[in-house]
Amino acid sequence: MPEATDKHDAAELGEERLLDRFLHPLRTIAAIRRDHYRSSKYRLFFMVGTLAGIPLLGVVMIGLFWLHGILEEDFNNQLKWQLDITESSIEFFLQERISGLRYLVSVYSFNQLSNQGSLSGIFQKRQKEFSELVDLGVIDSRGIQLAYAGPYDLKGKDYSQQEWFHETKVRGIYVSDVFTGYRKIPHFSIAIRQDIPGSANFWIIRATINMDTLNRFVSRVKLKENDDAFIINEEGVLQTPSRFHGRFLEKLDLKVPLPQQSAGHISYDDSRVGQITLGYTRIKNSPWILTAMIKPTAYWRIVDILRKDILAVYLIGILVLIGIMMNYRMVNNWVDRIKQLDQEREQAISETEHSAKLALIGRLAAGIAHEINNPLAIINEKAGLMQDVLNYSKESNPCKEKFLPLISVIADSVNRCRTITHRLLGFARRMDIHIESIDINELLKEVVGFLEREIMYRNIKLEFNFNEHLRPIESDRGLLQQVFLNIANNAIDAVDDGGTIEIATVSSETYALAVHIRDNGRGISKEVMKHIFEPFYTTKEKGKGTGLGLSLSYGIIQRLGGTIEVDSVRDKGTTFTIKLPYKAELKGGAL
Amino acid sequence: MRRTKVLLVDDEVEFASALAERLHYRNYNATAVFNANDAVQVARKEFPDVMVVDLKLPGGSGLEIVEAIRQFDPEVAVILLSGHGSITSKELLESGSITDYAVKPIDIEELVEKIDRAKQIHDAQVIKEGKDHV
Repeated sequence: MPEATDKHDAAELGEERLLDRFLHPLRTIAAIRRDHYRSSKYRLFFMVGTLAGIPLLGVVMIGLFWLHGILEEDFNNQLKWQLDITESSIEFFLQERISGLRYLVSVYSFNQLSNQGSLSGIFQKRQKEFSELVDLGVIDSRGIQLAYAGPYDLKGKDYSQQEWFHETKVRGIYVSDVFTGYRKIPHFSIAIRQDIPGSANFWIIRATINMDTLNRFVSRVKLKENDDAFIINEEGVLQTPSRFHGRFLEKLDLKVPLPQQSAGHISYDDSRVGQITLGYTRIKNSPWILTAMIKPTAYWRIVDILRKDILAVYLIGILVLIGIMMNYRMVNNWVDRIKQLDQEREQAISETEHSAKLALIGRLAAGIAHEINNPLAIINEKAGLMQDVLNYSKESNPCKEKFLPLISVIADSVNRCRTITHRLLGFARRMDIHIESIDINELLKEVVGFLEREIMYRNIKLEFNFNEHLRPIESDRGLLQQVFLNIANNAIDAVDDGGTIEIATVSSETYALAVHIRDNGRGISKEVMKHIFEPFYTTKEKGKGTGLGLSLSYGIIQRLGGTIEVDSVRDKGTTFTIKLPYKAELKGGAL
Repeated sequence: MRRTKVLLVDDEVEFASALAERLHYRNYNATAVFNANDAVQVARKEFPDVMVVDLKLPGGSGLEIVEAIRQFDPEVAVILLSGHGSITSKELLESGSITDYAVKPIDIEELVEKIDRAKQIHDAQVIKEGKDHV
């Protein structure tokens, strides 16, 4: 039983595969590759998934870049805005200090200011107003400090060699870098050149200012815990303390050079702190650059959060897609199942209708046969009696020679009628059934034996393709003979002289076996096919067929628990397939 | 040799009488009766070897007649005759209630064979029972 073995193997393999799939994924992939249909299914599934996923991924990526751009721009704008505000404040502060010095110069004369005592008075007065003022000095054009008010004694100090003196001399206004001086307190100085009218000479007023205020301004830049804001000079030396990038007056350990624009920002990856945005703006009238180094964690966090969310949305999208596909598949399966059930139901109804029709005709046929059999029996006996009288009578009868053939014709006609009525009765399934063990191949050979003469006479080629391993079945020999004889007879009628008839037996999946009787004859038209199993339907010449053969066969096979099917192609041939169970299950009711 | 006594029971008068006559020609002592009462009465008188009984009769089925006759003649061989073959006939045959059955119209030679076979069975039964009603 090759099929049965296959089925068993398949069941075992099914269980093993499940376990295998988990234990040996590579083997499973190889198996999937081997299974053409399954691999096609997976390929289709992934292809559809990818096709649907690519646009979604594209939208997600574009959205992410777009969002990234907006957030970065917004962040940079905020940074610029903060730097601008602080720069304005510092600039205003410087401008105020410069204006203060100019005010002194305009209010007091050179003589008053260069007078030590007078300058000390002015200084004290100014210091009350501007606490950050550290000292005040007046220097002549030779660089000698003429008067000095402040914590040190610097009167008479020569500044002629100092850079700031030359700068002030050239530019008119000079704001120094930050320095610590003697007291180690950070401060810077502002110097203003004052020309003496009517001469090429000039003098300079110079104020030293505490850094506290500047530090305060710098600290106003809104900072997060990882951010830093400070002032540097052109050389990159820290003018105010930095939180992370070097100490006061040390050179800033900056990895990138500042661009030459008055304001701007650079983003770069710092090996220690990671992504950093550095905003800067040059403070007008000073050597300083206000700088803020900010880790854009906040906005990166937003992007990160969104990226995660978008990933989640994407994954959910994929899941929804898979869900929709599975749902679609499930719906398809359901619809297919419903369709199949509907078809089965329709087929069952059709078969029931057919059976009911046959049953009705069967009862009718049985009734008619019975009613005809009685008068037929009388005719038979009366004719028989006439024959007996003529045959057994001792007296010679002149009519004997004439009557005997006539009586013989009556007897023959009665026999013909009897054949028909007996067939009718058979159709009505009143015939008896005797179940026995049958070797179907043997039975088919026996049946063909009945037809041997005609097959030889018409030079028909007969092919047997028997499965020699078929188990015997339990069924009715006579009925099966009747069916196969009938179908084989039809096949002989269908083929032309020299045609081929093939009789094959195979094992069947749902039944014990199937018998195919194939011919290469004329085939059956669709119209005939519709009525092929109906009683009294015949295409044979008048007197050659009763139209009961296939109808009877249909009923018999059904009664024995089997099925009979016909498949035909016009001018190619016809195949009758009879499937039989191991044990005939006699079905009640009319056949 | 004594002729085989055959009792034909059939309501079809023409059929039964013609058949009886044909059996006479073939050296059988055949009597045709057409209803149940006559059948029982003739059987009580004649003790036939073989009865050929129609399944359907007016005033009782052929089987009822057989039952009635077997009350006094248990060895009588019975051939059931009917207008149609039936599972009933086969079952009856298998259960031993009847000796044989046939379907109308029947060929006379075939019936003669069946009668002869039934007679042999009847005779064997009589010997076994050690009785002879004749």
